Amino acid sequence: MRDGIGDETRLRTLLAAGDRAAFERLYRQHNGAMIRVCTAIVGNRAAAEEVVQDGWIAILQNIGGFEGRASLAGWMFAIVLNKAKSRARRDGRSVSFDAGGEENSLAAAFDGRGRWKDMPELWDEVTPERILAGRRVLDHVTAAIEALPPAQRAVIVLRGQQGLDAAEVCAALGISEGNMRVLLHRARLAVRAALDDLL
Amino acid sequence: MLNCKDVAARASALIDGELSGWQAMQMRLHLAMCRGCSAFVGQIRQTRDLTEAALREGTAHAGDDARLAAILARLPDQRRGG
Ligand SMILES: [Zn+2]
Repeated sequence: MRDGIGDETRLRTLLAAGDRAAFERLYRQHNGAMIRVCTAIVGNRAAAEEVVQDGWIAILQNIGGFEGRASLAGWMFAIVLNKAKSRARRDGRSVSFDAGGEENSLAAAFDGRGRWKDMPELWDEVTPERILAGRRVLDHVTAAIEALPPAQRAVIVLRGQQGLDAAEVCAALGISEGNMRVLLHRARLAVRAALDDLL
Repeated sequence: MLNCKDVAARASALIDGELSGWQAMQMRLHLAMCRGCSAFVGQIRQTRDLTEAALREGTAHAGDDARLAAILARLPDQRRGG
């Protein structure tokens, strides 16, 4: 999903030269995900918006030092998440990314031999625009993402963001790849369970 | 042989293409014989796709013009474009 290296070098040059259109495009592409992830880390949206705004300013001030070793998105998210983690520390807040031991929504789904108690059925009619319980499926999905525990929410948002690969997500959050995969799977299980409850 | 619980635990790894050839083959063997797990893996795939669609939709509405202006205003003069 990475842009070509040439594209990123060009974008860096535009940003370093203060090109507003290039910046605005980048801002609209990533600002929403940055705010969601930072909200998970700092605990409230208002603080997250401040952190992300500071992050964007730092990105613009340091763009000349971007060397293309990570993707541009990977580099930007690392800057923003570092600011979020410092803010959380200052506020005495910590988010555990430890994946060990936590129950998931399938804890009671299997019998003693590991077979389904109730077989899942195909979701033939689950489409983004379908209305269930008065809301579009996509709106239910958004609500389910927002209800996730912070670590799962941070991982599922970052893994859904274009231009970031798995290694960059792990580096930005400071977690192992194995840990990230467990959190991602749990997050999906929770969103799946929320949808399944509506059917 | 994998049981249904094992298959469910590896569903994300399978759809994300992270299993080794041997692990993926064990999964496919089970899925070929188990309607419940086939449906479950399909649900997880739909969940992944819907999640990405919901996040993209959120991004489309994430433009905050006041903050964007504030960020641009904080830039040193020589960085401002025309
Ligand atoms: Zn099965």
